[in-house]
Amino acid sequence: MSSHENITVYPEQAQKNAEFIKERKESGKQLRVQRTTKQARITHGTVAISCILLAISGLFVFVPPLTKAVGPDVVFVMRMVHRVVGLIFCLVPIISLIMAPKGALHILKKNLVKWDHDDVMWMKLFLPYLFTCKWLHMPDASETKSGQRVSDGMIILVAILMGVTGLVLTANVVGIITLGITSHAVWLFLHDLGFFAICVLGMAHILLGGGIIGPYRGMHRVMFGDGSLSEGEAMYHWAHWVRKLHKEGSDELYWADAKTTKRIED
Amino acid sequence: MTEKAMLFDTARCTACKGCQVACKCWNNLPSGDGGCADSMDFKGVYQNPADINGTTRLIMTFNEFEAPESQKRMGWAFGRRSCQHCTDAGCVQICPAGALFRDEETGMITHDANKCVGCQYCSTACPYDVPRYDKLAGRPDPVINKCYGCVDRIHNGMAPACVTTCQPGALQFGDRDEMIRLAHEAVDRLQAKGFTDACVYGEEEMGGLHVIQVLKYGIEDHGQVANPKKSVLNTVHDYTAPVVGGIAGLVFLGLAGMTALSAGAEKHDQVIYNPETTDTLDMNTGAVLKHGDGQGTKSFKQYMSQVPIFKKWGEDDHE
Repeated sequence: MSSHENITVYPEQAQKNAEFIKERKESGKQLRVQRTTKQARITHGTVAISCILLAISGLFVFVPPLTKAVGPDVVFVMRMVHRVVGLIFCLVPIISLIMAPKGALHILKKNLVKWDHDDVMWMKLFLPYLFTCKWLHMPDASETKSGQRVSDGMIILVAILMGVTGLVLTANVVGIITLGITSHAVWLFLHDLGFFAICVLGMAHILLGGGIIGPYRGMHRVMFGDGSLSEGEAMYHWAHWVRKLHKEGSDELYWADAKTTKRIED
Repeated sequence: MTEKAMLFDTARCTACKGCQVACKCWNNLPSGDGGCADSMDFKGVYQNPADINGTTRLIMTFNEFEAPESQKRMGWAFGRRSCQHCTDAGCVQICPAGALFRDEETGMITHDANKCVGCQYCSTACPYDVPRYDKLAGRPDPVINKCYGCVDRIHNGMAPACVTTCQPGALQFGDRDEMIRLAHEAVDRLQAKGFTDACVYGEEEMGGLHVIQVLKYGIEDHGQVANPKKSVLNTVHDYTAPVVGGIAGLVFLGLAGMTALSAGAEKHDQVIYNPETTDTLDMNTGAVLKHGDGQGTKSFKQYMSQVPIFKKWGEDDHE
């Protein structure tokens, strides 16, 4: 939501707003926004858990003291876990993409939209916002915030990098392909580099997406709950988008019981 | 015990491959799948097997070259392809499991296959492309298998198996300084006979090798690597884990700090939109927060002025 500065409106308009609020309060209902589909949540959940398991199992080769401490048998188990989970990490998004190509295209499109004034300002304010979110209200955002687009793009690129380098390294170790000394070192370096990026991006993603930081509280429901948010929460994060849904009469907006948040069928 | 080394004098070698056989015998390594030879197919090289592998730690190489006019037109430069036992061994440095290590008494680079986790990082760190991998009983993944310098024999007062069996005396074993001295004497003799490319290899390479070679026809003709170096990427790899750990730790602390600073932040769940008036409303106060869906018009400073310590920015900036 944009900066909370009260705006003066004509009395007639103010009257309509007052009635609107009264009606909403008395209805015992709340408007909710369906942010994600079940397939998107399953895909995201599988990839997220895979990513964490990959990071943990990878540490058993990446951190020599850990490798030495646990011995080759444990490392072997971890390496096998790394390979199996790595396969899941690569295959699940591909399967999801095949199952819902339109959804994948929508994700691509919403991340490639032209930046408007609010998008640019949002990005400028993002770093200070992280430390001042108690007071600072960000500019309105579209379906994806500008920062979200940058972050999502980087996460997708790094995930592809990790997937491809991981597959190449595994193919080399199991003898499907034979890498030369230098090319093996380059692939290994790229995998290490990807891990570094995943660590940093992943932590920031968990902080915001998991709703750890104050105003993002409850955001975990978007990907790990039923995929819905209250109108207020959605307005705070993506006000332009919510207004657009209203304008279009989108079925992504639905009525729910204000207390239980259960959908009320028409 | 002083630092040890093997000396390989190519001028004396007859390429009988007795050393290859001795290595197999002492280490109880099988021959290839096809019996004595790995394959009967001609692979463009005369050595057999064509290269070292998971069960062959040492091969003699046959390098054919066109000799100068004064000598026989077709020349053979025999070479030894096996671990060179570098002082500055990249494989030891990169091995995360400690499976590759230096035998401090002899300087030989030895290994414990039981500790190997099969990551094959060592193969990226060796400028001689030596590490190979083989199945080990009870282990599902291939593990390191390379020349370990026969350190068990050396500790018991014996020479490495390959040296012991060498009939023409092309292989010798002893204190490294002595082997280097003998190598220089041999090179001097060769140069006096007109082999001007003859040189000693292993004295300085990779911090000093523990296989010193007398290369009669020069480095390249004997299949050796001129100016071997550790890959920069391997050095980078050494620092990756601590750097990633350090930066990830800093990011974690930063994020924890942000979380702490956000404590008590307002949860904005009471904002609703009235489609009829196109007003964004605060349900609790009834205030109109925004009319319509236009783009914001505030400057960066005006936004920041919402934060108490930057409040003055809003007064200053009339943009």
